[in-house]
Amino acid sequence: MFKVNEAIWDRIACVVLGIVLLYLDLGGVVAGGLGVVLDIFGAIFLLTGLVGFCPLYMLFKFSTKKS
Amino acid sequence: MKENNFFERVKQNPRPVVVDFWAPWCGPCRAIGPVMEKLGADYTNRVDVWKVNADEQPDLLRSLGIYGIPTLIAFHKGQEIARRTGAASQAALSTLFEAALSGDKPVHSGPAMMDHLLRFVAGAALFILAFQGRFSGMYLFLAGLGAVVAFSAVYDRCPIYRAISARLKAWLRKDQPDQSRS
Repeated sequence: MFKVNEAIWDRIACVVLGIVLLYLDLGGVVAGGLGVVLDIFGAIFLLTGLVGFCPLYMLFKFSTKKS
Repeated sequence: MKENNFFERVKQNPRPVVVDFWAPWCGPCRAIGPVMEKLGADYTNRVDVWKVNADEQPDLLRSLGIYGIPTLIAFHKGQEIARRTGAASQAALSTLFEAALSGDKPVHSGPAMMDHLLRFVAGAALFILAFQGRFSGMYLFLAGLGAVVAFSAVYDRCPIYRAISARLKAWLRKDQPDQSRS
């Protein structure tokens, strides 16, 4: 389907960052428009971390995963 | 077929063997039946397929350590190379035939250990977030998402998922017979 381009440390970082960003809004730390933006970024980070594929990396032909 | 007789026959068989342990009352066994027939035809004269009725051979199953059916075991030169329990797709089952043919253990194609862990932790974290919001409104959606992510960590080991997906794929193939040939 798509080629994994994130190393495992990168994926863990993405998942952790995604959860933290989601927590900032859903946990009530940040509110309003900024919260929605954090939610969107959080969901994107979480998703890329879980599947190991980052579309931005592909766009710039970059990969943290050793081939 | 007696226990010793079985191992003797496997050893003496000129071709590799894939043994299908099944039972007439077993739904997943019936679900993979057509797939096994097709694979058996594809590997004619290369790999033999034997079917063993689990109800008639309890001692043999015990000696092979089989505790669930359908179980498929690939033998190469009398040695067990690979086994799989539960219904699976044609692609997954064909790895057993390839393993029997080559004598090499199949490469695990499911998610890696770290994948399982990452998904499970992410699912649990989402669920905790939802719990903090008392599962109200948006948090209920988050709990569902967490459950899906956590399930994706173990889906390949879930016998219910495997049975349903195998039946669904078999049904889809039956529904669109021409697509598989193109």
